[in-house]
Amino acid sequence: MNTASFPDRARVDARDKVLGATVYPGDVPVARILHAMTVPSRIAKGTLTALDTSAAMRVPGVVRVLTPDDFPSPAPVSEDGPPPPPPTLEWRIAYRGQPIALVVAETLEAAIEGAEAVRPSYAPEPFAALIDSEDSERDPGEDVVFGNAEVALSSAATTVEATYVSPTQHHNPIELLVTTAVWEDGRLTIYECTQSSAGTRGATARALRLDPAIVDVKSAYIGGGFGQKGGIGQRQTALVAQAAMLLGRPVKIVMPRGQIFHLATYRPHSRHHVRLGADANGKMTAAVYDAEQEQSRHGFFPCAEYHESTCRLYGIENYRGTAADIRIDRQPPGWMRAPHPQAACFAFESAVDELAHKLGRDPVTLRLANDSRIDHRTGNPYSSRFVNECLEEGARRFGWSRRTPEPGSMTASDGTQIGWGVACGAYPSMMVPAIATLRIGADGSTRYAVSGHEMGQGIRTAIAAVLLEGLEIDPDRLEIVIGDTTAAPQHITAGSWGTAGAIPATAKAVARMREAMRELLAGREIAGNLHRQLSTVRRPFLQIEVSEVGPGQGPEALQALRRGAYAVAGPEYPNFTTMSYIAHFVEVHIEPRTRRVRVPRVVSIADCGRVISPRTAASQVRGGVVWALSAALREATEIDPRYGGYLNNDLADYVVAVNADIREIDVGFIDRPDPLANSTGLKGLGEVAMVGASPAIANAIFHATGKRLRELPIRIEHLL
Amino acid sequence: MRPFSYIRPTTAEEAVNAFADAEAGARFIAGGTTLYDLMKLNIERPTHLIDVTAIGGLATIDTSGDRLRFGALAPMSAVAADPVVAGDYPVLAEALWKAASQQLRNMATVGGNLLQRTRCMYFRNGVDGVYPCNKREPGSGCAAIGGLDRGQAVLGASGSCNAVSPGDWPVALTAMDASVEIVGPAGQRRVPIAELYRLPGDTPHIEFSLAPGELITVIEVPRETLEAGTARGSTYHKIRDRESYAFALASAAVVLEIEDDQVIRARIALGGVATRPWRATEAEAVLAGQRLTPERAIEAGRAAFRTAQPGRHNRFKLELGARTVADALLIAAERSRS
Repeated sequence: MNTASFPDRARVDARDKVLGATVYPGDVPVARILHAMTVPSRIAKGTLTALDTSAAMRVPGVVRVLTPDDFPSPAPVSEDGPPPPPPTLEWRIAYRGQPIALVVAETLEAAIEGAEAVRPSYAPEPFAALIDSEDSERDPGEDVVFGNAEVALSSAATTVEATYVSPTQHHNPIELLVTTAVWEDGRLTIYECTQSSAGTRGATARALRLDPAIVDVKSAYIGGGFGQKGGIGQRQTALVAQAAMLLGRPVKIVMPRGQIFHLATYRPHSRHHVRLGADANGKMTAAVYDAEQEQSRHGFFPCAEYHESTCRLYGIENYRGTAADIRIDRQPPGWMRAPHPQAACFAFESAVDELAHKLGRDPVTLRLANDSRIDHRTGNPYSSRFVNECLEEGARRFGWSRRTPEPGSMTASDGTQIGWGVACGAYPSMMVPAIATLRIGADGSTRYAVSGHEMGQGIRTAIAAVLLEGLEIDPDRLEIVIGDTTAAPQHITAGSWGTAGAIPATAKAVARMREAMRELLAGREIAGNLHRQLSTVRRPFLQIEVSEVGPGQGPEALQALRRGAYAVAGPEYPNFTTMSYIAHFVEVHIEPRTRRVRVPRVVSIADCGRVISPRTAASQVRGGVVWALSAALREATEIDPRYGGYLNNDLADYVVAVNADIREIDVGFIDRPDPLANSTGLKGLGEVAMVGASPAIANAIFHATGKRLRELPIRIEHLL
Repeated sequence: MRPFSYIRPTTAEEAVNAFADAEAGARFIAGGTTLYDLMKLNIERPTHLIDVTAIGGLATIDTSGDRLRFGALAPMSAVAADPVVAGDYPVLAEALWKAASQQLRNMATVGGNLLQRTRCMYFRNGVDGVYPCNKREPGSGCAAIGGLDRGQAVLGASGSCNAVSPGDWPVALTAMDASVEIVGPAGQRRVPIAELYRLPGDTPHIEFSLAPGELITVIEVPRETLEAGTARGSTYHKIRDRESYAFALASAAVVLEIEDDQVIRARIALGGVATRPWRATEAEAVLAGQRLTPERAIEAGRAAFRTAQPGRHNRFKLELGARTVADALLIAAERSRS
């Protein structure tokens, strides 16, 4: 394997983005377009008994009001088949904010006015808006068990036990949910900001009973995804697609943010009861961890995955993890950056900090002493694991050796309490199959099509890095086509597997192309780049196709990819387990009187295998740290259980971190290739970047104040 | 979108007459940073907009006399950047630049800012009528009382409403004993800033003591009441959920006059904690004639909240507010020494 570091390279799309030239799905110009607006349910549960659309139809410009009667009944769901598509319009109301009608009009203003003029009648029913509401239903998930944790815990020399809480949080990318549907010549083309163009095709086809072969989806750029735009499909898609087919004109919707809060997915409120045991030497011997989360009545965001990372952070041989859904009457929760580990590692890494304190051990030293070469869940070795290297490099850069251990011992002369905290994160490193086509033209052009979606993480830049590193081609005429079901089979880009899907295939394409060029030139030495060489031998272009699968995957994975199905390998591969790791070091300052928390500096060192695109990788980590800070100190969605729905449903009242909250974030990488996970030695990064930074902040606050805060977000009132 | 008519008169008289001619539903509009927002939320539903931004002479900043005069149409950003304001009246400058964002401050006017409506989330979530709100729909009830009231007022609330008065600038002006000049159908009058704002009582939808058609034209801040003629020993201290672009959880405007470490006079007003800009006379009384120590500062802060009535989630505002006052006093004292 080539193990050389990749050079720093600017984002290939940076200039266009700064100039505003990038064409996002909502910017694609479409003629004769109609505008749509949804009508949200004002009740949280019950039945829509009537829908009076006469006033809406009288609004000048309104073309049609779609009601549940305009949609086929829900697609049948099979146990082992793909998850059901999002519902279309229904007479049953499952949550407040559920769309009950779609108003289509010649202008956006008319669509909005029409939506306000729709007069629904309801038969409301009692509902449960929160975990603790009456009528919530507990639904246990699968346990994760290895060793005998209860026995090991009872014989442990030192134990800690506590409950940690993470709130409901919403993604809030700046780009709203945007869909344009075009019905033309028997084909449905959907322009949508989706992390899963093939998933959008499949879900829309199933919801509307169409042949997926007549549906194309294009999602070239996404203005922030974070899982909101992947997962289980967007609820508005089939609505506007149906409108476009019924009306024979293109229909566009831009969901207002207030409605997005109510119908898109979110990070569920979760509670985590953690018990840890260690022997007299500080070796962690047992973990018993019970997780529960809020869940919709029929949602399937899997609760058992809270254990994916925590059971592999350390070499704990006895682990018992339980998980449960608490089913209530809200829309389904879903994947939001670092989905389960954000909350799970907040709990677990806080507990480890409590354990270190109780043992009188330095929290870095304790972690270093609990490393493992073996994944005790499977008994297989880790393919690579440099979490201790992350801790050591982070401690060195941060100056950790100057830390005094006693809480409150680093108070400044003006009374500002200073705290230094550390925590680790882990995230499964997964891989997806890919089929790629590379075509180099004698005219100077290069076109490369592969599976992947660009939501700002930098997948285009990573792909360009590999192509330009391996092939002498004109970078200015390199066209990378992704997120397009017409160009290459598309897999959902999520779970930090985007790079692991696209890059090994790209490396293979580079090798195959070089081989093809060698064959073509048959020993002739021709000067110039590949375009020039093709031109010299009078070949208009050279095109190759390659495919790549993950370890343990065979041709069936490629078939699944072609079908648009989910085809993820890992983190448990046939003979090994692959995880990505990070260590975060955080300094907090807490004002003496008004108790504002500031985070002047963070050092984050990641093990994501080989770094393909250093600049966008570092940017990913900084973004993850920013969000972890925001999750730890700022963000919570407010739900008044008397009414359901979300009260702070805009960017003014849903408080995310702003620039002024963010100071120095020093990012480093171990940058050592994983020898087994894939041909390029890379591991996932986008999710692990965030994991562990929230508990590092909470641990730093404990070090500053002696106050252990186990519920996020930590706000000023908790420190007064 | 609801249709409305729009005119842009060039004199205050024309604007006032246009308001009188219009049927109910007329609104003056200047920067639009609040009104357009509330129109999009369907809370304000004006049928006539009278744009006052073309009225001549109302954007003037005059700091030459013994009263600072700010034309109501002066942008918040311009007043904050005025050399006299920025140099000699930190309480005013800070109240302006700690509000909103630069883009909003460029649009918003210092007169319009006085009439910003509450940020109570139950008030703002009015579009589908789920949450009752006595400000939005008089008599419908108040969902915030007994609800998610972390941000609500602990001072000046009634059984009908506990919505916080959101502004920063009005709090600073309250500490500075400012007044406003108003023109209206009945002519011109001057109102002390303290009388501009009403307690919610049983009529929380009536927020200002302005008659229909009255227009604020000038804000006047006296400088002759200050010992030094300037308010260098002053500050607007704002504590919020993030470092910028957020409304206050608690804020304090403090103007101190100190001689030989003795407080001659302290003027203190509170924001983020009360249903109107709140003059904390009890706190001022604690300090008069006293040496300002950290202990006395917090004692003054606590005095400001002696009559406070917390709800379910906002009890912390009593302690936070007291400490905010204390910090503000110490900052102002430090400035008055330098």
